[in-house]
Amino acid sequence: MRLYEFEGKSLFKKYEIPIPEGRTAAGINEVAQIVRELNKPVVIKAQVLTGGRGKAGGVKFADNADTAQSVAENLFNLKIKGYPVNLLLVEPKYEIKREFYIGVTIDRANYKLVVVASGEGGVDIEETAEKHPEKIVKKTLSVQQELYTFEALEIAKQIGITSEHLKTVARIIVNLYLMFKATDAKLVEINPLVLTADNQLIAADSRVSLDDDALFRHPELKAMGIEKRHEEGEMTSREKQATEWGIPYLDLDGDIGMFPGGAGFGIMGNDFIHYYGGQPANFMDSGGGPSPERIAKMLVLLDENPDVKAIFGARFGGISRCDDFAKGVVMFLKEHGLSKPIVMRMTGNMWQEGVKIFQDAKNENPELFEKVEFHGIETPIEEISRRAVELAGMKGGN
Amino acid sequence: MAILVDKNSRVMVQGITGGTGQFHARRMIEYGTRVVGGTSPGKGGQKVMDCPVFDTVAECVKETGADVSVVFLPAVAVKEAAIEAIRAGIKFLVVIPEHIPIHDMLHIREEAVRGGTIVIGGNTAGIITPGQANLGIMPDIAFAPGRVGTVSRSGSITYYVADTLTRTGYGESTCVGLGGDPVLGSTFDEILLKFEADDQTKAVVMTGEIGGVYEERACTVIPKMKTPVLAMIGGIFAPPGKRMGHAGAIVEGKMGTAKEKLEMLADAGAHPCRTFKDIPETLKKLGV
Repeated sequence: MRLYEFEGKSLFKKYEIPIPEGRTAAGINEVAQIVRELNKPVVIKAQVLTGGRGKAGGVKFADNADTAQSVAENLFNLKIKGYPVNLLLVEPKYEIKREFYIGVTIDRANYKLVVVASGEGGVDIEETAEKHPEKIVKKTLSVQQELYTFEALEIAKQIGITSEHLKTVARIIVNLYLMFKATDAKLVEINPLVLTADNQLIAADSRVSLDDDALFRHPELKAMGIEKRHEEGEMTSREKQATEWGIPYLDLDGDIGMFPGGAGFGIMGNDFIHYYGGQPANFMDSGGGPSPERIAKMLVLLDENPDVKAIFGARFGGISRCDDFAKGVVMFLKEHGLSKPIVMRMTGNMWQEGVKIFQDAKNENPELFEKVEFHGIETPIEEISRRAVELAGMKGGN
Repeated sequence: MAILVDKNSRVMVQGITGGTGQFHARRMIEYGTRVVGGTSPGKGGQKVMDCPVFDTVAECVKETGADVSVVFLPAVAVKEAAIEAIRAGIKFLVVIPEHIPIHDMLHIREEAVRGGTIVIGGNTAGIITPGQANLGIMPDIAFAPGRVGTVSRSGSITYYVADTLTRTGYGESTCVGLGGDPVLGSTFDEILLKFEADDQTKAVVMTGEIGGVYEERACTVIPKMKTPVLAMIGGIFAPPGKRMGHAGAIVEGKMGTAKEKLEMLADAGAHPCRTFKDIPETLKKLGV
């Protein structure tokens, strides 16, 4: 879960890492007001949950309130990788002597925390790591270890911090590590840590990513307004609807509505459609033990998508049981009705109960099942994929 | 033989009195799994389906000789439960719940390595040695005893792979669910080595997905293995930058895409498969 720059910086402040005396603004008059109060040249930065902001023109300078106002107007009209700009951060502009990089992250494959530092901050650190690995300093720790000041001093020395700033930078490194642990972070970065012309060390930018799954034990973050958020840029109307219904869903460019089960096969099932020459209209995680009501809503999303020409359905019941699946499908057929052809396969836990629910419903209302092709364990899933592609082709013409 | 669990494993359930714990403990027992007891603090002395309930794992281990534990508890309780089990001498731990905080998993791994315990999950469907023991939530219908091992990030994919192996007559030695969470108790390479040491396992099917970090580790052991490895990776056609499903399945920046992972595994000597149908065809070619 990515934080906005200003949120990351307020966490820095809490952990005694020096930050610029900036403020956020949601409108152009507010920006002008902040510049008047600061009474010095400023940098104005778009607050978005994505990287590449500088390159996209999301960081601008202004010398006074009037220019700041017009700069802010342009920034508010900007879209950065599809993200609208709703908030700006206004800070004093510094004269910079040097830029450093300090970060803490997790090496998941090796189960370690890693403190990363470099004497060349301000740029893409991954690029530096690739082209000039000698310019990156790394220290690996276990999650149960603390980072001592003497160790932080060594790191600071290795990235070329001079004697007069050693203690300050070591404290910043130690505090960043403490913050990483205390906030259940996945990534914290000061990039750059700047040394200003008047010899101050300041965290000029922040990149912080926290673990959504640990937010429950951080009421202090909630009190700061840091809550679970959507990070994928603007959502389509269907994605918004799905989010409201609590269904993990993404729109894609194709014409086959995907209703494939849990996340694992949810991802791989889309590959299968491609292998058989089709294009999925969406990704959906329909696993995790959904109730019949949620199953019905998932089908509503697919059936109401005008781009969808056929629906691929699959359930291999584990924690998501076949009886619930069948109840949900029947509920959808009765209450909403199906306008697209659907081919589906159902097997796994409680499949006998599921089949009975379908049979009973079909005996009662055979007309509801006109567009439904139903299969059990005897039909391989590849055949279902192939058939879905065929059905989409029949209806669409090309 | 099999890996990690068999009919002699003495299995306990942490959270045996909860709704999910009870439901799946019953299924496990019905399958023939040797479930010897369970824990639920404050409910020691009760019984669930003839299984004695204890307050602590240490008591359960002492009284029943349990050496394997399956955790059916909310994610927030997993760190404590896992470390309790490791310290009580449980040798194999199956963590079913999903959304376990990442820092908690790092702690658990640290303790597990120190205590010599193997952990799988979180967010795993469990592990099954067909005909002997079924630990977790996997549907029996997909499985039959046999000679191919499977290891997967995802429950549903495990079922499809096993279903394919079962219908084509190969059957499965053991099927291991590594789990779908971003940080997991075990890695592909560790499980592959277990299969390599197992006489009954003639080939292994590993299925990974976009965003995982443990697929790459498999490349370090595959070249040294005699047992052939078949590999599938989900998300070959996933659009970059989109977050799909599993918390772990994110393609961002320079992290390996599904296609790159599959190419890397193939370079290491694994046999890449596109759909499940390719699995029996490949096994046939390999003479398994």
